[in-house]
Amino acid sequence: MEDIHIEGSKGVYIVPTVHFDAKTGICEISGESFLEETARFYNPLIEWIKSYVKDASHIQFIFKLTYFNTSTSKWILSILNELKMFEKNGGKAEIKWYYHEEDLDMRDDIQDYVVDTGLSIQLLPFE
Amino acid sequence: MKTGEIHDFSLYEYHNLLQQNILVSYKGPIDERIMSVIGENIEVVTSSGDAKAKSKIFKVFMELAQNVWLYSAETCNVGNGRVMGMGTLVIGEFGNYYTFVTGNVVKNSDIEPVIEKCEKINSLDRDSLREYRREQRRLANEGKKNSGNIGLIQVALTAESPLDIELTPVNDEESFFSIAVKIEKDEQGN
Repeated sequence: MEDIHIEGSKGVYIVPTVHFDAKTGICEISGESFLEETARFYNPLIEWIKSYVKDASHIQFIFKLTYFNTSTSKWILSILNELKMFEKNGGKAEIKWYYHEEDLDMRDDIQDYVVDTGLSIQLLPFE
Repeated sequence: MKTGEIHDFSLYEYHNLLQQNILVSYKGPIDERIMSVIGENIEVVTSSGDAKAKSKIFKVFMELAQNVWLYSAETCNVGNGRVMGMGTLVIGEFGNYYTFVTGNVVKNSDIEPVIEKCEKINSLDRDSLREYRREQRRLANEGKKNSGNIGLIQVALTAESPLDIELTPVNDEESFFSIAVKIEKDEQGN
């Protein structure tokens, strides 16, 4: 299985940085997300997760997103739903979400995803 | 030709009108390119040291400007199948708060649900708004609704302000629809 590495960029659109490592099962999405075709960007990430968890017992997910628009927020929910499904099937999903401590809106966003999915998400301040 | 003949309105008066309290004013076609240019400059035009308010204005701007781009009834084709929505964006600064206002022409037949939605948003407290956002996101996620529905809820949550809406009839079929929100400055300047 191939890793996914996408270098983030800031132009007309804002692309997040993505590193999905098939050997370690460590997946990280960081930066900001405002995309031209949100589905075309996030669908392959979801497909990767689906295929990875087929033969895995553990996955680690690290979010370091500091801004995402509402269109992206729907796709974050899709990712978390995949992780939820994985846990239902007996897998272990370890999820960490880094945020700036003063960014209370982001903290609310993360807590709302916890309510939505019933997943346990570890909230960590950026160092 | 006499000096001044080309000026069919007073640019000076227009400038003066905008001079007071207005940081940015744009009228014209809007798409992601225009959004990116103005969005990047929000950092520059807002007063220094208020990172929280800057970030809030940026987030509100991205959602509301996108609505003008995608939903304005007044559009222009720029080739290659690209369409830009026409509208107006204004960022103002007053004593202890900023305002962000967008306006665009809408079809009277389309606007009723948007107004109802804004009224519903304005009737909810923060916790209910978060619950409403979760519900709309779930529906969008299941493909039952467009995620555009979440944008206005997000704006009210981010701005921590009601959506001040105004509808001014243009003719029998169209009106000018405007949304204004207020963003408090951070007292501590964080």
